[in-house]
Amino acid sequence: MKAIFKIALGIIAAVGGFLDIGDLVFNTQAGALFRYDLIWAVVCGVIGIAVYAEMSGRVAAVSGRPVFDVIRMRLGFGPGLIALVASTLVNVLTIAAELGGLAIILTLLFDAAFSMFVVVAVLALIVIVALLPFGGLERLFGYGGLLLLVMVATAIDQQPDWGAVAQGLIPSLDSSPLYLYFVVGTFAAALMPYEVHFYSSGAIEERWTEENLKENRLNAIIGYALGGVLAVSLVIVSGYLFHPLGVEPNDLGTVALPSQVAFGETGLLLALGGMLCCVGGAAIDSSFAASYNLAQFLGWEWGRYRGPKKAPRFTVSWLAFLAVAVMIVESGINPVEITEYSVVFSVVALPLTYFPILLIAGDRSFMGEHANGRIASLLGWVYFGVIIVLALASIPLLLITNGGGG
Amino acid sequence: MSERDSIYIVHRLLDEQILDAEGRRCGRVDDLELRGSPPRVTALLCGEGLYPRRLPRGIRHLWRRAIGPERWGANAVRIPWEEVDSLGSTVRLRKKAEELGLGEGDDPERWMVRRLPWN
Repeated sequence: MKAIFKIALGIIAAVGGFLDIGDLVFNTQAGALFRYDLIWAVVCGVIGIAVYAEMSGRVAAVSGRPVFDVIRMRLGFGPGLIALVASTLVNVLTIAAELGGLAIILTLLFDAAFSMFVVVAVLALIVIVALLPFGGLERLFGYGGLLLLVMVATAIDQQPDWGAVAQGLIPSLDSSPLYLYFVVGTFAAALMPYEVHFYSSGAIEERWTEENLKENRLNAIIGYALGGVLAVSLVIVSGYLFHPLGVEPNDLGTVALPSQVAFGETGLLLALGGMLCCVGGAAIDSSFAASYNLAQFLGWEWGRYRGPKKAPRFTVSWLAFLAVAVMIVESGINPVEITEYSVVFSVVALPLTYFPILLIAGDRSFMGEHANGRIASLLGWVYFGVIIVLALASIPLLLITNGGGG
Repeated sequence: MSERDSIYIVHRLLDEQILDAEGRRCGRVDDLELRGSPPRVTALLCGEGLYPRRLPRGIRHLWRRAIGPERWGANAVRIPWEEVDSLGSTVRLRKKAEELGLGEGDDPERWMVRRLPWN
């Protein structure tokens, strides 16, 4: 009973931590521009991350190897280095996007300048990481992120045409570049690679073994399914409210607006609070992911569980990544734009980190009886194909649509 | 390791994580030393000075110019095969990292560690 309770708590934290600034930006814009037409792309992305996370969590639990350990083993030094550099660039952009998002949300809640809130946000995160153990970090931001359930309540309160919503689950045939750009964007926002780098390294931090495989599978199936409900509700509320008005939301305040329309100030505060936790958690996850990757690839000691004294290079690199991200945000680029670039570039880098995981998860010499079965294998390879197509399409679409600007 | 245990060294040994006798992560198998005929693995090689060897020729020269040549005992360490305790999902060594000159970047007396705010 106690074990079930513990697994449930983990799943709840996973649900709350599912969304990040990429989902908030892309899903809200997708709803405003195409109403419910892109729900299928969000769902495909959520299934994709469930498949990828399940495999890498299983690899971590069974063989004790996080993602970049696997990458170094399977790709070797040279090609692995390309994966490391690409992932690190994307991760730093993502950290910048999340920090910028945090600062924007803070300016909506309190009265002070954006550039000051960037510094406040990053200092607050450093203090929180210094004070809390690994599990505490996950729970704090995960449970806080559940405030965003107000989006689900908003969607129900709006009483949308559920038939039209259901129709959004079927891919619609629209080949305009803007539509395709948002297919890539909403898919990629759900499947940000840092989430998986963090998840698999977290499995090592929490000393997972084969006994945690059930937890891993439930996380992937139930946790991500519920997280997907949150992600889809963002599209629904935005599609219902903004699509008829022809509003294109270009700032984060708009994301919370539907909840204010539905539930007044309480709704607004719940939404902003949930966004703050989701984006704050994602800032920590993405910055940790950047340092995990570097340390694992080069064989350094790493992990929050080791502490800064035993893993100094890991800790210093974490602070350095945060510092670079702060500089990017403070340079004055709109955080929403940084978000779009981080999401689109992440899908370009994704095949490099996905492929080695797919190889090792199916390799019996590493995984024994826990190697990919028929279903995991099939899903894994199907998604690899999908990811390759999206990776090839993403940059041309970014250029043609001028970053979704039309 | 008994003689009968055979592994594919590029599949399972090259690039593997190295742990010292106390379980500290202290580098990866960046290269291997093979000697004799038939060749046998006589040592694991580890350190950032070896990274250029693993890159295509053009980049190798650039990298060498940037960080300098291999300096044995400093940026390139030779770990004799006798020091290897076991091979599993990591390479376990018989001695502590310091005794073999490994993991110096993470040694507690290094400046980075001393200057961290919460020590």
